[in-house]
Amino acid sequence: MIRFSNASVTYPGGVQAMRDLDLTIEPGEFVVIVGLSGAGKSTLIRAVNGLVPLTSGQLQVNERDVTTLNRSGMRDLRSEVGMIFQGFNLVDRTTVLKNVLMGRLHEAPTWRTLLGLYSKADVHLAAQALDRVEIIDKAYVRASNLSGGQRQRVGIARALAQEPSIILADEPVASLDPPTSHVVMRYLQQIGRELGITVIVNLHFLDLATAYADRIIGLRDGALVFDGPGSECDADVFESIYGRSLTADDTMAKQAAL
Amino acid sequence: MTSGPVGVASPESRVDGAARLPKKPGPTPFTIVTTLGAVVMTVVTARAVGFSFEGLIENLTRPNSVVEGLLNPDFSQIWSERSRAAFIETLQLAVLGTVAGASVALPLALWSTRVGNPNTFLRSIVRIFNNIVRAIPDLLWALIFVSAVGIGALSGLLALFFFSLAVTTKLTSDVLDGIDPGPVEAANASGAGLTQMLRTAVVPQILPSYSSFVLYNFELNLRSSAVIGLVGAGGIGERIEFFRSRGEWEEMWGLVVMFFLVVMIIEAFSVTLRRRLV
Repeated sequence: MIRFSNASVTYPGGVQAMRDLDLTIEPGEFVVIVGLSGAGKSTLIRAVNGLVPLTSGQLQVNERDVTTLNRSGMRDLRSEVGMIFQGFNLVDRTTVLKNVLMGRLHEAPTWRTLLGLYSKADVHLAAQALDRVEIIDKAYVRASNLSGGQRQRVGIARALAQEPSIILADEPVASLDPPTSHVVMRYLQQIGRELGITVIVNLHFLDLATAYADRIIGLRDGALVFDGPGSECDADVFESIYGRSLTADDTMAKQAAL
Repeated sequence: MTSGPVGVASPESRVDGAARLPKKPGPTPFTIVTTLGAVVMTVVTARAVGFSFEGLIENLTRPNSVVEGLLNPDFSQIWSERSRAAFIETLQLAVLGTVAGASVALPLALWSTRVGNPNTFLRSIVRIFNNIVRAIPDLLWALIFVSAVGIGALSGLLALFFFSLAVTTKLTSDVLDGIDPGPVEAANASGAGLTQMLRTAVVPQILPSYSSFVLYNFELNLRSSAVIGLVGAGGIGERIEFFRSRGEWEEMWGLVVMFFLVVMIIEAFSVTLRRRLV
């Protein structure tokens, strides 16, 4: 479970990216966060695994108080939370399998990592994760030789290899074309449903958000302005979240048609 | 007429658009001052060391036993046991010095950067250490160890170790500034420790450049091992110095020419290898 209580984040430059947020996300929920760029979507996601520290307020993730964790406590928390990135963040020069094994680092002793020796159990888990996103045949291919959609599937496999209870996805389809975006979103949805993992996704395309979300959270200037099921989220609601009328840029289908 | 699309002349501007090219800017004061400074410095220093072309030509054409030795070098020394052993010692020094120095250089380079060493205080200590090691030239290292450890190959090895450490650390840390931060973020977000993150997210990115620097360092060490031998740090340099001090120029030049050939061959090999790396 994730619980923000009265949580705020102000960056050193003075930008307030989260304002008095109260939000509870139950285990197994598929939550999509929408909002304009700069509304605080990335900040919210990165607060969950401690990449962005709260300036004030409380945040509980899986019974841990994120604001008071020491370094090793933070590593323990992060091992339970998988993350997927807009730019995939793969090491291009190494193989797909080694990239996925990065998800096992928390469980591996440092000397084994230094020597590049991964345990059989870790390789087994990495292979299972690759199989789940149907890219296991590319295990020994260099990551630089994959297409964008394939890379993001490797990114998902790396998160899955952690055996996480939560997966955070920060604009996972922003660098992909529409058909590939749907493939990636379907994998995320399937993972949430079949493995009972809580999935939190940042999106800026409204049609993608309503198509996949169980629950939509709308942010505007760092504050929560909408929280409800995807079915309740119509054009009027989005206009209130965005604070302007909708344009073709806001939906993937219409943007693709341009 | 300012709103037309780029590259399409609007109808009313039939005049040659190239006429609107702004006046070419002249040299900046900075360029003028630095150019003048460079010329003045060159002339002043040339006068100070008494450089003249007449002197150079006169000295080169005067009968000189050293130069005569160069015209008929004596290669028979190659087959003498002591010279051959010295050659092999030089190669061993270069290989060992490179391997040892470069192995220590990798962690030192990593620890001197923000990503590899988040602690500002420890980072500045590593940087100061690296700067000191880099400020000392190879010949000085050799002199230090010849006085501290004594004449012989061990001093040469220690000198080349520190020299390699300096070179490879500097080159590698420059590459570290340009790595892709994405994998670093991914490793940190997965709960990896610092060393694990460096090994899996950073080292694979710099490995080709690092390997290339190690090979380049080997080339440097090969040449360096001849020079440091002159002060008694082992290898072929010691043998060259032996003949030089006895005035046996034919033998000395024989060794120098052979050394030159060995360096050329190994460098050609190394350069080909390095090209395939990056």
